[in-house]
Amino acid sequence: MSETRHLLQLHDLDLLLEEARDPELTARLRRLGFGPGDVAAIERSRMRLLAQLDARWLGSYGRALQRYGRGLAAVRDRVCLGCYITLPTSASPRTRGTLTLCESCGRVLYWH
Amino acid sequence: MSTSLLASVLDPSLFVPDLRTRRKESVLGEMIARAHLAGAVRLPELLRETLVLRERAGSTAVGKGVAVPHARSLSVSEPHLVVARSRRGLAWTPGDPQPVTLVLLALSPAEVPAEGHLDFVARVVGATRLQRNRQKLLEAESFDAVAAVLREVVA
Ligand SMILES: [Zn+2]
Repeated sequence: MSETRHLLQLHDLDLLLEEARDPELTARLRRLGFGPGDVAAIERSRMRLLAQLDARWLGSYGRALQRYGRGLAAVRDRVCLGCYITLPTSASPRTRGTLTLCESCGRVLYWH
Repeated sequence: MSTSLLASVLDPSLFVPDLRTRRKESVLGEMIARAHLAGAVRLPELLRETLVLRERAGSTAVGKGVAVPHARSLSVSEPHLVVARSRRGLAWTPGDPQPVTLVLLALSPAEVPAEGHLDFVARVVGATRLQRNRQKLLEAESFDAVAAVLREVVA
């Protein structure tokens, strides 16, 4: 798995964790009939994933996650879907699927 | 989620009338592949890993033969509902004697807040609460008939 894939995986996993750690959300899921979520299992997967990630991306991701609750944002039509700023044309990477950093909010950007 | 929004996630190309596979992970793969083919999912492997991880942390079977796997993911840019049926039934939760015959995969983009995503999931679960509706969903001959049931119950 590539560095990009690992970081995207971490982002999706952190969304799962956000739901699993929130008592109100989990209570709501239980009322809907879902079984209890095993937070520890998700956290173990997170640890395994962290061990495979480059410190450079992890630092930026972690800082933005602490600050906003999200470490990474997708880019659509050159707009950062984290802070909704329009990114300069020069910020567009040549290849799709590349990671960069949002100069406005600091989130890792995923260009697809 | 409003009625019109639920209607907008219904797409005839996101319907699997009878699943080929029976193992949970394979079923998720089959449904994701369908959604990928329809252009609703851009990173199928990422989505599969996310959904499998949720299942490992806790089953998404909600009783009465219904499972509602769900996720917010970077792999989707619009909310989507993938509807699948299994005539033979699936062993979704180990030890659960009731086989799952209806799988409703609810997908939200990563930007959607957790509460908004759960509103969507609650709508989907709610649509299957009545035995009459589950029966209609299982017996529907076409996607239009499936969509009609889902629209009717959230109206
Ligand atoms: Zn930004």
